[in-house]
Amino acid sequence: MEILIGLVVFFVPLIVFGVLIGRGVENAHLRRLEAHERARKDFFVTQLKSFPHADDEGPAPALVCAEVVIASDYLKNFFASWRNLFGGEIRSYTRMTDRAKREALRRLIDEARSLGFNALCNVRVESADIGDRRKKGAQAMASCLVYATAYHGNAPGSLSHA
Amino acid sequence: MIVTNTETIGGFTIQKTLGLVQGNTVRAKHVGRDIAASFKNLVGGELKGYTELLTESRREAMQRMLAQAQQLGANAVVNVRFSTSSITAGASELYAYGTAVVVAQHG
Repeated sequence: MEILIGLVVFFVPLIVFGVLIGRGVENAHLRRLEAHERARKDFFVTQLKSFPHADDEGPAPALVCAEVVIASDYLKNFFASWRNLFGGEIRSYTRMTDRAKREALRRLIDEARSLGFNALCNVRVESADIGDRRKKGAQAMASCLVYATAYHGNAPGSLSHA
Repeated sequence: MIVTNTETIGGFTIQKTLGLVQGNTVRAKHVGRDIAASFKNLVGGELKGYTELLTESRREAMQRMLAQAQQLGANAVVNVRFSTSSITAGASELYAYGTAVVVAQHG
C-alpha cells in the first residue's frame, strides 16, 4: 500500500508537470513553425530531381542538411500506453514526429537562405534511429535527418523576383 | 567540390562518371547526454545533445565520402544519400554515399 502511495506521489506530479509545461512548449513550438512557414512563401521547395526554374545567378548548387531530435514526455508516453490497449492513432506521437520534421525543414531553409540560395529541390527525409527500441522502458523520441540540394532560381510566386 | 543529392547539377554538365564513393561512422552517445535527455523527458522538447550527435556524425561521414571522391579526382559528388541504423543500445551508424563525377559549367 505504501509503495502504491509512493508511486502515486511520484508519478502524478510528473504527469501534471508534463501536461502543463510539455503542452506549452509544444504549442509554442508549433506557433513558431507556423509563423516561419507563412514567412517563407518566397522560398521554392520541391522534391523533384530536376532544378525547376533554375537561373544562372547565385552560387553553384550545394547539398544542405539539417537534423532534429525531439523528446517525448511522460504525458505522451502515458497516452501512448493507453492507446496500446485499443489501438488507433497515437496523436501525441504524431504531433511529436510532425514537429521534428517541420523543425528540420525550417533549419534546412534557413541554412540554404544564409548561403545565398532561394530554392530547394530533391528534399529527402530520413528518420535517424538513435534511441534503442529493444531496451525495455527506452525513451521514445522522434529524430530525423533532412537533406536537399539548394540552388538559385526564379520560381513563379517567388517574392525576391516578383 | 560540388555536392548535390540530385542526379544532375543545374548549369553544369557531367563529363565523366567515376563511380560510387561512400563514408560511414558509428557514434555513441555519452552518459552525460543520456542524463540530460532523461531530464528532458519530463517536459519534452528538443534533445540538443542528440541533435549535435547527429550533426557530428553526418559531417564525419560526408568528410570520408568527399575524401574518397577527391582521391578519384572528382570535382563533384551527385545523388548523395544518407542512411542510418542503430547498432546496439546507444550507438548509431550514419552512412553517406554518392557518385563521384567530373563536371564542367556549360557556357
